Amino acid sequence: MELLINLFINGLATGMLIFLLAAGLTLIFGLMDVLNFAHGGLFAWGAFSGVWFYGLTSSFTIAIIGAILTGILLGFITEKLIITPVYGNHVQQILITLGFMIVLSEMLKVVFGPNQIAAKTPPLLAGSWEIGDVIIIKYRLFIIVVGFLVFGVFQFILKRTKVGLIVRAGVMNKEMVQALGINIKRVFLYVFMAGAALAALSGVLMAPYSGVIYAEMGMEFAILAFIVVVIGGMGSFPGSLLAAILVGLAGSFMAYYVPALSLAVNMMLMAIVLIFRPQGLFTAKG
Amino acid sequence: MRSKFQLNNVLLLVIVAALAIFPFISDSRTWTILLTQIFIFSILAMSYDILLGYTGIVSFGHAMFFGMGAYTTAILLHQFEATLSMFFLSIIIGMIIAAVISFLVGLLTLRLKSHFFAMLTLAVSGLFLVLAEKWRTLTHGNDGFTFRAPEFFKDRMMFYLLVLICLVLVYFFLRRFVESPLGRVLIAVRENEQRTKSLGYQTLYYKVIASVIAGIVASLAGSLYAVSLRFVNTSVLTMDITLDALLMTIIGGVGTLIGPIIGAGVIELAQHYLSGLAKEYPIFERWIIFFGIIYILAVIFFPRGIVGTIQYAFWKRKNKAIKGPIRPSRRKVVAK
Repeated sequence: MELLINLFINGLATGMLIFLLAAGLTLIFGLMDVLNFAHGGLFAWGAFSGVWFYGLTSSFTIAIIGAILTGILLGFITEKLIITPVYGNHVQQILITLGFMIVLSEMLKVVFGPNQIAAKTPPLLAGSWEIGDVIIIKYRLFIIVVGFLVFGVFQFILKRTKVGLIVRAGVMNKEMVQALGINIKRVFLYVFMAGAALAALSGVLMAPYSGVIYAEMGMEFAILAFIVVVIGGMGSFPGSLLAAILVGLAGSFMAYYVPALSLAVNMMLMAIVLIFRPQGLFTAKG
Repeated sequence: MRSKFQLNNVLLLVIVAALAIFPFISDSRTWTILLTQIFIFSILAMSYDILLGYTGIVSFGHAMFFGMGAYTTAILLHQFEATLSMFFLSIIIGMIIAAVISFLVGLLTLRLKSHFFAMLTLAVSGLFLVLAEKWRTLTHGNDGFTFRAPEFFKDRMMFYLLVLICLVLVYFFLRRFVESPLGRVLIAVRENEQRTKSLGYQTLYYKVIASVIAGIVASLAGSLYAVSLRFVNTSVLTMDITLDALLMTIIGGVGTLIGPIIGAGVIELAQHYLSGLAKEYPIFERWIIFFGIIYILAVIFFPRGIVGTIQYAFWKRKNKAIKGPIRPSRRKVVAK
């Protein structure tokens, strides 16, 4: 029983990290119909800038804020320079965002050096609680809380505020929203910046979780996020949450019980979902 | 038009003949190796263009088939006696494996729209990379292993000629393929999949065929690549290989077969000189950034590539339709 709880918490924490990354991806795709292959690059920039801010100020709060600001800034640049010229053309979007991904991860090596960097857990969140035989690592609990918090906040904004109304209407019918006098281009820009901020947040939270950060981590985790988005259904926020938790739990349990299969488990999950529901678990429109 | 077509063929023959004689005139080892490398990547880039340029699907998993060929050849030559017949056998086995895998992956993923397909190919090829890294008894993981090439290739020149022959054969095979009725359907799929479907074509079937052909040819390139290095490690499965093929195709011109060859030449030469420069100027150590930037600029401003731009200029002068690269985004220009 204790083992099950431990595995469950581990899986949930990993799932939440992937959710934060996938949430930005699915948000951008849902409204703008842009699949951002550079998302992993923004994630890695979040991790590196966060660790840099943490080293500078030794305050984890500032590290998180710094990473989010980096994400917002990079999101602004990316949308203006890279995404704007290729709206509406899927093939070009794929090609160009992938090219930008290369530039982002190489720039990381230029700015922060090509080596791995160790990331420390802040003292407040280090250590663990023991309740009976159940070991709860504080940092993992922190990630789970942040994940649900972010989900709640975004869900509130999307469903209950005027901004969310505009975004959801934009998903339905861009032209109509434009005709109502709302600058949909600016909405696109803000959504992209929000997505980039989520990626960066996920990056900075990932850093102490995995202990080291390196430039290639962007692509690695982006693949996981892609898998999650496909399983959950492109553009669906709750779908991403559910799929991320599923992927996290499957990974955690498989790693313990069937280690040989742990690397393939995500792919198998995705293959199964694709065979039966090619549009993903949560997308109504086929 | 007909006479021009033949003129093109004559021109091609002259170039091939010149390349075939080249190693007999020049004894520059560097150039022989560099040209061999260019030929191998030309084969890879042409196979990629069957997907990107002719069928309009973006695959990020192409390195997977390249790696399959490379590993099949390397493992067979390593485990068994390194003879010429074993080498050819390994090429064929590699092609069969690539065909089966590309068929299965294609069947599963090609039903999806471009976005999803690109993501999934990325994920599947990521899986193969991890597999190669973990299956250490067979692949020696990231360290890779060296193996003996057949005795016949002790002379670099023989290998050079073999690769050149492969390149020419693949070129003519693929040209025949894209000019066949089947290839024309692929172009129709690229231009408008929905309409092609309405005309009664099972587009999935055609897309799977394209991906199998591309997989087989990529596997051949991988086999040749492994022998050219006499060493293999997991780098043959990484994203970089796919990116190289992608970049060569885009720079050279999508939707042409000559384009990827020229693109391969340009990229390989640029890589050669830039990595040479890196020894003197540290700024060039991160030369991949330049490639990334060039690549982005090419997608935005130079979407036809070198060959495509030249062909388009011809077309504009003659003002009549040509066979050739019509980028999806600009197809209105040529649709008249």
